[in-house]
Amino acid sequence: MAAGLQARELEDVGAAGGETGDLVEIWARVRARLRAEVGDAAFRSWLKPLTLIGLHNGQLRMAVPSRFMRDWLNSNYVDRIQMLWSEEQPTLVGVEIVVRPPARPAAAETPAPANAPSNKSAPGEAPVVEVPTGLPERISRAEPEQPPLLEVDDEAERCRAISASLDPRFTFENFVVGKPNEFAYAAARRVAEAETAPFNPLFLYSGVGLGKTHLMHAIAWQIRHSHPDKRVIYLSAEKFMYQFVRALRTKDTMAFKEQFRSVDVLMIDDVQFISGRDATQEELFHTFNSLVDDNRQIVISADKSPSDLEGVEERMRSRLGWGLVADIHPTTYELRLGILQSKAEQLAVPIPEKVLEFLAHKITSNVRVLEGALNRLVAHATLVGRSVTLETTHDLLQDLLRASDRRVTIEEIQKKVAEHFNVRLSDMYSARRARSVARPRQVAMYLAKQLTSRSLPEIGRKFGGRDHTTVMHAVRKIEELKATDHAFAEDVDLLRRMLEG
Amino acid sequence: MNATQQIPLALEPRPALGREDFLVAPCNAVAAGWIDAWPDWPVPLVTLVGPAGSGKTHLAQVWRARSGAAELDPATGDAADLTEALGEAHAAVVDDAERLAGQPAGERGLFHLYNLMRERSGHLLLTARHPPSRWSITLPDLRSRLESGAVAALGEPDDALMGALLVKLFADRQLRPGAGAIDYLLLRMERSHAAACRLVARLDQRALAERRELRLPLVRAVLEETEREDASAERS
Repeated sequence: MAAGLQARELEDVGAAGGETGDLVEIWARVRARLRAEVGDAAFRSWLKPLTLIGLHNGQLRMAVPSRFMRDWLNSNYVDRIQMLWSEEQPTLVGVEIVVRPPARPAAAETPAPANAPSNKSAPGEAPVVEVPTGLPERISRAEPEQPPLLEVDDEAERCRAISASLDPRFTFENFVVGKPNEFAYAAARRVAEAETAPFNPLFLYSGVGLGKTHLMHAIAWQIRHSHPDKRVIYLSAEKFMYQFVRALRTKDTMAFKEQFRSVDVLMIDDVQFISGRDATQEELFHTFNSLVDDNRQIVISADKSPSDLEGVEERMRSRLGWGLVADIHPTTYELRLGILQSKAEQLAVPIPEKVLEFLAHKITSNVRVLEGALNRLVAHATLVGRSVTLETTHDLLQDLLRASDRRVTIEEIQKKVAEHFNVRLSDMYSARRARSVARPRQVAMYLAKQLTSRSLPEIGRKFGGRDHTTVMHAVRKIEELKATDHAFAEDVDLLRRMLEG
Repeated sequence: MNATQQIPLALEPRPALGREDFLVAPCNAVAAGWIDAWPDWPVPLVTLVGPAGSGKTHLAQVWRARSGAAELDPATGDAADLTEALGEAHAAVVDDAERLAGQPAGERGLFHLYNLMRERSGHLLLTARHPPSRWSITLPDLRSRLESGAVAALGEPDDALMGALLVKLFADRQLRPGAGAIDYLLLRMERSHAAACRLVARLDQRALAERRELRLPLVRAVLEETEREDASAERS
């Protein structure tokens, strides 16, 4: 098909009165003049992406990546292009700008890396990057200094520059699937593997830290891997807003619009952050419509379902719910343990299964905190060169495990210690010196020194007006005993932990 | 005030904040270890947590100098300002980050800062009295991010540190008390950073006002005075 078209168009070129190579040369000259007229910045934004399709019956056809860009060129530059071109080729009748369809899949030339999504392209496909229409490719051969092939890569590159960087760990392979997230996972995979948008938009929502961002990154990785020429932008709503505000400040909103309306896949994370930002919402709404009209894929994430998004306009909310809405439910114990086990396998430091079970049991709020807890354990173990145990886990994560950091008082220590050793509370400040009451009293003094910042004279006073040297003696005595008597040491540590939390 | 007293100028001492000025002891060794381990942090965020005067800011300054971190206040300006203030920096430090909790602008700023650092594979260091899990954060997205970071605790000083801390605090004020005075204080004072700072400040002021040497009698008098005050504060 391409060959037939090529022959016909070449005839047209001939019929137009010039040589075959003329068209390309004319375009090169016209481009150079346009560049000089409009300046580098505008040229790069608007005219550089323009690719030549051909000349037919005096009608010059050119392609751009988006509808928005076409409209902009039509209203701002097309007359100028026609005028400059006519000076070169007086037979020119008109200039028509068309939208280049979204990039089509390309077969990858390299095998998938072990941890990246597997490549889905058919084995029979030619190992070349296909340019959308097939036509600009022809031009590219004729015009090596400005190959549209590179242009497409350039744009994919440019999108990567705007896009937030992707976390290499956030792939589908590293996503632990369980009942609470299997639906969202399946939807994300569909979007990543589909050639055309299966549902638009894909709206992922869940409470914080349950894996939305992971799935978003996984989609982007997979698409970038299997379609390197696709223009994929992934960014947070905050960043979208920031870029928009900056564009407003520098009066460059046109380039901003073009940037976002010419992508193949737009992914916006945490869309709830545009709540109450009317101008940004308006912009996103139009971007959204433009992309949906062109059948480009949109993926949105938020902490609530579209209808529950506060501070977002009704029309926006309804638009967000048009495609597929998939939520991720809070994790189950099994899923949390699965996530920890899968993470632990990749760590250099061995983590006892008991610790993983303990974490899965205790930290139920969200996966981000759960993984963060594991990171904290590993980081600490690496830092101090000690292995991870249930005890170090208790100590290190006490802020996450305990409801509060309330300071223990000396009175509480006395009460708890008396109960524990089955002596009367009054024995804590009595003058009795029998070993059966003296030892518990010493333990209580020791704990008072460890767990409070009270001065030693103050502690002495609370124990029946004893001297600070008595407290010092008690502390030394308990330290000695702890060092020699393992069971006793455990007993004291147990008391300490009970008092702390 | 009696006639022989001189009114001392309230000149704040300038503390020495170099890494070599930081006193490492068991109660803060892990926190110092985190600072020394940079840039090999396995997490984008580390929060230094400890009571007043425990050396959080000191360590944060050591890290800032080492990492070239931008020091900013996320509560001022929007995301755009913040991004500009940050420039190309791959490290940022926010002192007393806890104060931002509950403040919409501050929370958003911190959230944005965290995301920026994470995106750049950079690092963010916060200091606070309490771990992030204890802050009253209203933005759930911020809460989960901060809670997923590492917490490096600086404890109240242990015996090993307390003596050294007193010496440093006196040295910051160019005071050189006798060894007997330090030992006397160590056995009798409240064992906290805050108490050490208060005591040293008061001793300095009294020594200056009364033109007395920093010896045992003055130390004893000041300590008894603070104890009486604390006791009456407790009763009221």
